[in-house]
Amino acid sequence: MPRRLSHNSSLLSRTSRRRFLQGSAAVLAGVGLSNCRRTVGNVDTAASETTAAAPSSGAAGDGVLHIYTWADYTDDELAAQFTEATGIDVKIDVYDSNETMLAKMQAGGGANYSLIYPSDYMVTEMIGLGMLTELDKSRLVGLDKILEKWQSPVYDPDSSHSVAFSWGTTGLLYNSEVLTTPPEDWNYLWENRDVLSRKLTMLDDVRETMGAVLSSLGYSYNATEPAQLEEAYKKLLDLKPALASFKSFGWQDELLSGDLLMSMVYSVEGIPVSLENPKFKYVIPASGSSVWTDTMVIPTSAPNVDAAYEWMNFNLQPKVSQETVERLFFATPNGEAMSMLSKELLDNKNLFPPEDLLAKCEGIAPVGDANALYDEYWTKVTSA
Amino acid sequence: MEGGLRPEGRAINLSTIYQGFKSSLRPLGLLGPAGLWLFLLMVLPTILIGELSFVPGLKPGQPILGYGLLNYLRILEPTYLQVLKRSATFATGTTLLCLLLGFPVAYWLALMAPKRWRNLLLVLFILPLWTSSLLRTYAWITLLRPSGVINLVLSTLGLPTQSLMNTPWAVYIGMTYSFLPYMVLILYASLERLDLSLLEAAADLGANPRVAFWRVTVPQTFPGIAAGGLLVFVTSLGDFVVPTLLGGPSSMTISRLIYNQFLGVARNWGFGSALSMVLILMVSAAISLLLKYGDRNPEMYS
Amino acid sequence: MKPVASKGNLRFSWQGIFTLLMYGFMYIPILILGIYSFNQSRYGAIWKGFSLTWYQKLMGDERLFLALGDSLKIAICAVAISSVLGTLMAVGLSKYRFLGKSLYVGISYLPLIIPDIAIAVATLVFLASVAIPLSLWTAIAAHMVFCLAYIAIVVSSRLQGLDPNLEEAALDLGATPTQALLKVLIPQLAPAIVSGCLLAFVLSMDDLLISSFTAGGANPLPIEIFSRVKTGIKPDINALSVLLILGSGLIAAFAEYFRHKSERV
Repeated sequence: MPRRLSHNSSLLSRTSRRRFLQGSAAVLAGVGLSNCRRTVGNVDTAASETTAAAPSSGAAGDGVLHIYTWADYTDDELAAQFTEATGIDVKIDVYDSNETMLAKMQAGGGANYSLIYPSDYMVTEMIGLGMLTELDKSRLVGLDKILEKWQSPVYDPDSSHSVAFSWGTTGLLYNSEVLTTPPEDWNYLWENRDVLSRKLTMLDDVRETMGAVLSSLGYSYNATEPAQLEEAYKKLLDLKPALASFKSFGWQDELLSGDLLMSMVYSVEGIPVSLENPKFKYVIPASGSSVWTDTMVIPTSAPNVDAAYEWMNFNLQPKVSQETVERLFFATPNGEAMSMLSKELLDNKNLFPPEDLLAKCEGIAPVGDANALYDEYWTKVTSA
Repeated sequence: MEGGLRPEGRAINLSTIYQGFKSSLRPLGLLGPAGLWLFLLMVLPTILIGELSFVPGLKPGQPILGYGLLNYLRILEPTYLQVLKRSATFATGTTLLCLLLGFPVAYWLALMAPKRWRNLLLVLFILPLWTSSLLRTYAWITLLRPSGVINLVLSTLGLPTQSLMNTPWAVYIGMTYSFLPYMVLILYASLERLDLSLLEAAADLGANPRVAFWRVTVPQTFPGIAAGGLLVFVTSLGDFVVPTLLGGPSSMTISRLIYNQFLGVARNWGFGSALSMVLILMVSAAISLLLKYGDRNPEMYS
Repeated sequence: MKPVASKGNLRFSWQGIFTLLMYGFMYIPILILGIYSFNQSRYGAIWKGFSLTWYQKLMGDERLFLALGDSLKIAICAVAISSVLGTLMAVGLSKYRFLGKSLYVGISYLPLIIPDIAIAVATLVFLASVAIPLSLWTAIAAHMVFCLAYIAIVVSSRLQGLDPNLEEAALDLGATPTQALLKVLIPQLAPAIVSGCLLAFVLSMDDLLISSFTAGGANPLPIEIFSRVKTGIKPDINALSVLLILGSGLIAAFAEYFRHKSERV
C-alpha cells in the first residue's frame, strides 16, 4: 500500500512538473510581451486559444458539459435526464448574483463553462463586452415555441445571443403569523423597521435592491439620475441597521425557524416556501417590482460548444420545460410548455401575476455609465 | 589582455572560474527552483498589484491608460477609512482577548500542569487548529443565531436571550475562537523557558506573588507576548471567513472589501490593488513595530 | 503522607479552573456540531430525535465528493512538489552564505506574513495579465508558494539541531555531495519533512481564498462548503464536519508523532 501510494504521487509530480515547465515558459513569454500596451483580466479570448492549443489544461477536453448557473437552478433531476438522453455528463457550479458571475468570468475563472444563465440586463452587458457567442439558430430546435415577448426582447434584439429560459418577479416573503398587517408596498420596510429590526434580509444584488429603493421613492428601477441614486442610497443606508444581512440565497432556514420575519426574495425562491408552508406569504409590492428573465448563453471562451447546444435544445422541449417549472417554480417563456401546466399552477398569482400588476413591474435594463454610480453606492452601503 | 601575455596565469584563472562555476551550481540547484517559484508567484505578482494600484479604477479587460493616485485618494473617503478602522479594531480587540484568555491557560500548562501531561495537554488545546476553519466558524452560527443553542440554553434557564449573530460581537467571538490556540502555543513556548530561580529570588527579596508576576514573569515573557500578539493581529487583520459568515451587513473589513473588488459587484481591480497594498502596509507596520520594540527573534535560517 | 501528595497533585487554582473553561470554549462548538449532525430536525436548535439521515444524504452527495477530490488533487500535488523544493531550499540556506541571502530569506517569509487575500489577489492579477486561464494547475501553482515556505521553515528548524559531522564524514569516506545529501542528510531530516508536509497539506486543504482566486473548473472543498453555508445551511454540513474533524484529528496525531520523533532523534 505505501509503495503504491508513493508510486502514484511521483507520477503525479512528474506530469505536473512538465505542465509547470510549459506554464513557466508561457509566463516568461507573457512577461516579455506585457510591456506592450496591455490589458489585465478578461482573458477569455486568450483562454480559448490556449485551450485549443492544449486541450488538457483545465477540464475542457473531458467531454463534460460545465454549466455555471444560479444557486437555485441546480436541478439534479434535469441533469440526470439530460445525461440519460445524450450521454453527456454535466457538472454544475453556482453563483449568487449576475455580478459575481461576471467577475468570475472576467477574472479568467470561467474558461471551462460552456453554458451560463445571465439575467436580461447582464446579457446586454456581456454582449457589449464581447463575451457571448452569437447563436447559430439553425442548430436550435423549438425556438418558435418561445412566446413572442421573448422572441426579440429589449435586452437582446432578435435573441441573437441568448435563449430565454425562465422569468419571474421579485417580492417580499413574510411570516404572516407574526406580521399580521400584510405588507403591501416597499415602504412597509421603513414604516415597520422597529418590528423588523434585524429580522429582515434584502437581496445581495445591487440592481434589485437599489431598484426596490428607487421604486419606493417613485423612481424607475433603471434610474440614471445621480441625484435620484444618491437619494436611494441614503434611504437604503437609513434602513440598513434593521437588516440582518444582505443575502439572496440561504435565508430559508432562518425564516422557517423564526430568526427572520421577512425576506426580499426572487419569486423562484419564495414561491416554493409559500406553497409548502402557508404561513409564509409571497407578495409583489403594489407599486411594482422587477420582472426578470434568465437566459441561456454560450460564452466565447466555451469549450464543448456542441454539448451546450444539446443542453439548450433539451431545455427547449416543452415537456422538459414544463417539468422544470413544476420542480423549480419559475414562469416559463415557452408557450407550449405553459399550455401543458396544471390549472393550479397557472392560477397561482405569484407565479403568473395578473397583467395589471405586471404592467407596473419593470425589467432591469443596462444603465450604461450609471453602472459606476450603482457600484459605488452599493460598495458604500455594504461598507458602512 | 594581460592574461594573454601571461598564459600560465590565465589557465589558473580559467580553472578557478570553472571551479567557482561548478561550486555555484550546487547552491543554484538547491536554492534556484524554490527561489524562482517564489519570485514568479510571490514577488512579481506583488510588484504587479503595486503598479495596478496606481491605475485609477482599472476594470478587468480595460487597457491601462494612465497612472494616478485616485485609488488611494478614494480610500481616504470616510466610508473606506471606517472600513480600515473597523478592521484594525477587530484585529486589536481579538489580540487583546486572545492575550487575556490565553495567558492564564499557557501559564497553567507551562508551569502548573502535571509535568508528564504537559505536552499532551498542549497538543489537545491546539488540536482544533487542524480542523477546517470554515466549519469551526460555521459551528458558531449554530450557537449564536437567534434560534441557536445558546439562546435555547438561556431560555430554558429562564434568562433573557441574546442576539449576537450578525453583530461585531459575533466577529470578536469567532476570531478569538479561531486564533486563541496560536497565542497559547507561543506563550507556552516562552513561559516554559521562564527562569524560575528569578521568581524565587524575587520571593526571597520580599516581593509578593503579584509584584513578582508583573516585575519578573511578564518582562521575561514579553518577547512571547509580542510575537503571539503580532501573529494574532496579522492573522485577524487579514481574516475573511469570520466577518463574512458571522458579522452581518455592518462588518465590512478590508479583506472582504478587497474580495468584493475582484469577485464581487464592483470589479474595480485598481481600487482592489490599492486596498491590498494598504493591507500589506498595515501588516508590515505591525511587524516593524515588533522588530523595533519587541525582542529580535533569532534568525530561523542561520 | 498520601493525602498530602494527592492534594499536591490536584491543587485547585483559578488558573486551572480557567484553563478547563477554555478547553470547554475550544471543544463545545465542535461537540455541538457533532451532536446536531444526528438531529432529525432540519433547522433550529430544537432536538427532534436521533437520526442518521444526514449521514446518508452526505454519502449520496456526489458534488461534495467531487469537491473533496479536487481538494485532494491540489493538496497532494502542491505538497509533493513543495516537499522537494522546500527541503532543497532549507538545505541550501543552511549551507551557503551568499550576496542577497537575507533578501532571499525575507522573501521566503513573505507567504507566511502577507495575508492570504493579498496573495490571492496578486496571483490572480498576475495570471490574468499573462493570460493564463485559471485551472486546477494554477491553483496547485499558487498553493505551492505557501506549502514550500512552511515546509522550508519546519525543515530548517530541524537542520539547526543536526550534527554537521555526519555529512562531512560521509564526504571524507568518498561519497559525492549528492550521495551525502540523499543517503545521510535526507534520512535524518525525514521526520521533519513529513511533519512539514502534513502541516502544508492541512493548510492547503483548508484554504479558501487562494483557491477562490486561482482555481478554475475545479471546486475545492472549502469553496463548496463556503458556498453552501452562504446559499443555504444544510445539516449534512454538520455530518461532513464530523467526518472531516475525525480525519484531520488523525492527521494531527500523525504529525505530532513525527514532530515528537524528529525532536527525539
